[in-house]
Amino acid sequence: MKLLKKFLKLFLKDNRVISRLVKFYRYNRSFGIFKTIFYMISDLFLRYRVKNNKNQAYNTARMLGQIGFKNSKINSFFYNIDTHKVFYSKKRYLENFTVDYSVILESSLEELKPKSGSQYSDDKNVVIEGINSYIDHTVNYILKLNIDNKEVIIKNILSIKDSKAVHFDEALQRILFFNQIMWQTGHMLVGLGRLDKILAKYYYDDIENKYITQEEASKYIKDFLCILHEYFWYKSNTLLGDTGQIIVLGGKDEKGNYLVNDLTYMFINELKKIHYPDPKILLRVSRDIPKALLDASVDCIKTGIGSPLFANDDLIINRMIEFGYDKDDAYNYSVSACWEPLVPGKGVEQNNLETLVFMEPFNRMLNNEELDSIKNIDDLITRYDKYIVEYVKEMADMINNWEYEKEPYVSIFVSDCDKLNEDIIDCRGKYNYCGLTTVSLGNVVNSILNIDKYVFRDNKYTLKEFNELRNNNFNNDNHILNDLKNNSKRYGLDDEEVLNLSNRIMNMMSKSISNNLIKGGKVKIGYSAPSYITHSVNQYASFDGRKNGEPFIVHISSDINGLPYTSLFNFASQLDYSSNKINGNVIDFIVNPSFLECNYDKFIDFLRISISNNLFYEMQMNVVSSKILIAAKKNPKLYPNLIVRVWGFSAYFNDLPESYKDVLILRAQESEKGYE
Amino acid sequence: MSSKVIVSNIQRFSLTDGEGIRTTVFLKGCSLKCPWCANPENINHSIERYHDADNNKDGVFGREMTIDEIYSEVVKDKVYYDNGGVTFSGGEPLLWINEYEELLKRLKDENINICFETSLFVKKEYMELALKYADSMIVDLKILDSDLTKNVLMNNLSLYLDNIETLFKIFDPSKIVIRIPVSNEYVISNSDKYVDFIKKYTPKRVELFKLHNLGEKKYLLLGLKMNKYEEVSDSDLDDFKNKLESVCETALLKF
Repeated sequence: MKLLKKFLKLFLKDNRVISRLVKFYRYNRSFGIFKTIFYMISDLFLRYRVKNNKNQAYNTARMLGQIGFKNSKINSFFYNIDTHKVFYSKKRYLENFTVDYSVILESSLEELKPKSGSQYSDDKNVVIEGINSYIDHTVNYILKLNIDNKEVIIKNILSIKDSKAVHFDEALQRILFFNQIMWQTGHMLVGLGRLDKILAKYYYDDIENKYITQEEASKYIKDFLCILHEYFWYKSNTLLGDTGQIIVLGGKDEKGNYLVNDLTYMFINELKKIHYPDPKILLRVSRDIPKALLDASVDCIKTGIGSPLFANDDLIINRMIEFGYDKDDAYNYSVSACWEPLVPGKGVEQNNLETLVFMEPFNRMLNNEELDSIKNIDDLITRYDKYIVEYVKEMADMINNWEYEKEPYVSIFVSDCDKLNEDIIDCRGKYNYCGLTTVSLGNVVNSILNIDKYVFRDNKYTLKEFNELRNNNFNNDNHILNDLKNNSKRYGLDDEEVLNLSNRIMNMMSKSISNNLIKGGKVKIGYSAPSYITHSVNQYASFDGRKNGEPFIVHISSDINGLPYTSLFNFASQLDYSSNKINGNVIDFIVNPSFLECNYDKFIDFLRISISNNLFYEMQMNVVSSKILIAAKKNPKLYPNLIVRVWGFSAYFNDLPESYKDVLILRAQESEKGYE
Repeated sequence: MSSKVIVSNIQRFSLTDGEGIRTTVFLKGCSLKCPWCANPENINHSIERYHDADNNKDGVFGREMTIDEIYSEVVKDKVYYDNGGVTFSGGEPLLWINEYEELLKRLKDENINICFETSLFVKKEYMELALKYADSMIVDLKILDSDLTKNVLMNNLSLYLDNIETLFKIFDPSKIVIRIPVSNEYVISNSDKYVDFIKKYTPKRVELFKLHNLGEKKYLLLGLKMNKYEEVSDSDLDDFKNKLESVCETALLKF
């Protein structure tokens, strides 16, 4: 009994139940219940060894000193995460971001040591010393291993201490070394950045000096991707696969030239070959993208891995500059875990802080307003706006109350920290911008279109009657629900009325956001809608034919009755991305594999035309048939390697909760109706 | 632009009816009664209502559209018509060409590529009018026997053959695709006739498709019964394809 009490006390201490439950969920999905219980109990005791001190630099160094190597991974590289050592804190850590790895490629640890005396520089020195010791531990561990390439690995790891990276394999090992520490020190959804750009000089020097061949470089890239894929279960956030390990390739430079090199192709080709859902690739495209690169990318997407995602430089860069980024920085953008543009190493940019649910203030309006007094759609939207303002203010206030741990390790990668002699959490960097995602814009738009049709045009119901029907979950009447779902005007259609309405509502949200600062910085939002299940489960039925708790629309999409892709792209091209609406605006669609196979060249033309005419901001697609998805749901064992694109990541279909499988199946079926 | 035509569907992002990315306008009304027709809703030149018992809902095949309405729909994807454009199909689109000639003029003025997917069982003047605007033609080759054409398709083979002769005389053969619905009964058993035909006219390409029953649901909705045909074997289809390829540049298995 005493033991149980002690266990419960430990478990509940500092109100960390949720983090433990999350950990339990993550362990359980990977190891099963018995091992999970064992690990959870052992974690409780191990935790004491990395017990939090008020000084986060000290905690980091101590954590690094206590890391075990039991589950380390080796191929051409060494990579290690001790999944039993975890920071627990009431405060938050930065997450969902990409750091500037060129900092640690172009400097040794010795060179990164700050000179001036301050709390910040003391902290940085403590962390750097911690890394130095961790290098020693790592080397000692590798020395004992019976592997052929240990000398090379040791050399590449030891060089971190006092030299810049020189060779290609050394640069890759160095990125992995610092990346593993990022995960180890409590950061989730860690991106990789523009690897073809920052690695180019190491690769080309080695090729020129005949230090490596192109085949060897390809093998290094393959091993790099494979080893990053390790700890897949541990790195995954809410769903297996949601790791945020995104590699950004291609892109325009300041002179407008499209940057592409051997590595751009090699990363895409190697990812295609290994056929893993993670890491994933985002390809920055522009009208000048070489045809061969577009072909290679579609060839990779065609395998069904959902990657690369395309981000359109010709739109994104200008919008970033308009928002407030310097030109040079905007041209060098990378992304947070999925597609939210950020500039690595220049600021605190947290682009996925929370989700604005359009349906929430809409339902509040329906619940609180005298509905029969609403005269027309314009009146309804004006009243909705009032609730949006209130909702956004609540959201901003909530986030402003969040506390963050200092980030002495992340600060190493941010140029402004040394200049200002402050931790990134204090100085916030050059770009103290934050971002929020949104969800259910399409559902609200479709709801308003149906209210307009059934209440104000056809006079079938009063708004009050219509709302009562909604409150009763439309009496589960499929007739009514189908009519609501099949309004010929709907989100995703390139129709003037639909577009005006979508832009008007988004702009109401955008304006409300721009009237609020988060942690003193401007806030970005976007049309991407990743939490279409998480945030729909508690939302009542809606006038778009959605029953209580059913999923919201996925990103910028519309699969009902096979809306043509051209309509969806035309629609997306006319959405308003100005002002703060730059935080990810992805079109999401599903293509049947046989349709793609039969029309491959024309499909490439479709993408090429879409890119050269700025018809999308970002786009991703699943290449999968409803038939395969249904079969895999029925017999998971027959489809162990079936990969699908979920919101901003790829995952094994079998790892998804049933609700996500159902959304994909339904969307695939609806999409196929257009091309039967 | 006040004329109207009966349209059963306007399919955007249509990739099978001509070059590039296209929009296909399906017009109701046909001059033939092909028993294997996959689009039975396009045979009659009238609006047809139906009741879908499976989904317990009423529906309609076809609606009258003005030229302006069709124009607004087909120009939506203009940006994608790089080497694509607009295809008129059916039914038999040439039967109603006088009604929508204004639309053709407008598309031509905007340099939008125009294609007709036709059986050519129409008056010669209709075809000649179409050729004034056409950038390419997809022409069906169904049955090459007079009696069978009369009994099965309910039309006159000589009308077709005369039109074909004229077409290949006045229109660039490299812009003509011949499309053959392949059945054992009418085609495979007379394959030499088809090969001779293709050899004589040398179109740009021949597209072959097997008869299928994808249109069965539409037959049911219209209260009709769909004829079933014995499926052509892959080896017979391949043989036929190879024979055709010996006399023309490309023969594709299309569907």
